[in-house]
Amino acid sequence: MLSFLSRHREPLLVGALIIVPLINFLARGGRGREPNVLDRAVLSVSAPLQSGLTWVVDGVGASVSAYVALRGAREAAGQCRVQLAEAQRELNALTEARAENERLKAALGYVEQSGGLVVPARIIGLNATPQFQSFRIDRGEDDGVRVGMPVVTAQGVVGQVVRAVGGAADVMVMTDPQSRIGALVQRTRVRGTVVGAGDGQRMQLDFVRREDDIREGDVVVTAGTDGLFPRGLVLGTVQQVTRPTVGLFLLGALEPAVDFGTVEEVLVLPLTGLSAMRTPEGIR
Amino acid sequence: MRGLQLGLLALVLLSAESVLVRGFGLEVARVDVTVVVVVFMAVFSRTVEGALTSFAVGYLLDVFTGRPTGLFPALAVLVFLVARGAAQLLDGKSRLGFALFTTGASAGHSLLAFLLTWLTSKSAEGRVLSLSGMPAQLLLTLAAAWLLFPLLSRLEPGERTEGGGGRLA
Repeated sequence: MLSFLSRHREPLLVGALIIVPLINFLARGGRGREPNVLDRAVLSVSAPLQSGLTWVVDGVGASVSAYVALRGAREAAGQCRVQLAEAQRELNALTEARAENERLKAALGYVEQSGGLVVPARIIGLNATPQFQSFRIDRGEDDGVRVGMPVVTAQGVVGQVVRAVGGAADVMVMTDPQSRIGALVQRTRVRGTVVGAGDGQRMQLDFVRREDDIREGDVVVTAGTDGLFPRGLVLGTVQQVTRPTVGLFLLGALEPAVDFGTVEEVLVLPLTGLSAMRTPEGIR
Repeated sequence: MRGLQLGLLALVLLSAESVLVRGFGLEVARVDVTVVVVVFMAVFSRTVEGALTSFAVGYLLDVFTGRPTGLFPALAVLVFLVARGAAQLLDGKSRLGFALFTTGASAGHSLLAFLLTWLTSKSAEGRVLSLSGMPAQLLLTLAAAWLLFPLLSRLEPGERTEGGGGRLA
């Protein structure tokens, strides 16, 4: 036996290098493992490297943009004045609406649910394969980021944290095929599930009955039923609705509210409700 | 020693790739920098050294996906073995040959990754759509292999196997 192992040690070693991780992959069914010591070591080296490179690339980009922007500054300034006036008008209206909202909340005894700290973070890199669509941010466990936390921008939902280590975390984008978010159509309050389409550009609205009222242009928001995302965050807009002749559910194509190609900074929201009581492992 | 150098190089390349891909605004297309290193080992190194380095490079790629599953270390070694076998028949030692050889390996690597994730995933359609960036990915990988070949060739060229890749010892 020993002589056999000794004679064939090279093919056996190479075979083991394929079979052991492959069995691990098949056994886990595509779910990521908890970061081990080696993963943390790799991330602790690569995250600062990515931050540095991002700083350099963004710096060069900003310099070029600044130069280009200067050339059209006069026209842009004129447009800005018009936009500013428009924004000021909207701000006044919103201030009125907020004051009214506060009064109504107080009257109803509403308690703000978002109790934890919101963590602002910067995207430092996209992750390396199209099979798992995610990106890395420069905030991690040390900053209070935990697995399962929702990640948003001012425009709407981006995704959720799938791994957090010391100074970095990975965020699964909601266009990833494994992403599932409880949703509702803002206009009609029809419920469904938003699923990533996998092409990095779109999502699908699933589990909505064929007879339900959904139209192109409808805004879809989080329903708050998945225990992760707070209610009312914008997910996207319905682009196309197909009602198949068979089956219970219609097919809705959704355009994300956030342009993932241009987003640079994000906000990591605290876990709310039931998810806040679970362990990070339990959220997976 | 060369394995360690290539491992560190792969770490730097993966970090740079993740930043540049975002800068270019690419959505599902990536640059297969790990395959460039794996193919280089397949063409120019011994089997065990190359397999171990490929495993390490695949491990790094696995960590960089955000959800490490063990898929990419296995695929890297598999691609290494297939590329090593193919190197007996095809020229992978010239700069152009290496770039074309790497592009082919990248296509195989992507298709295998797609197949295995598709087999273990509920959302089959989403996995198919993740292949939409493949043509751009192959072109970018071709360019990366062309550009990286001189750098890789400088890594201890004296240790290269005589008679080319494909030898199983």
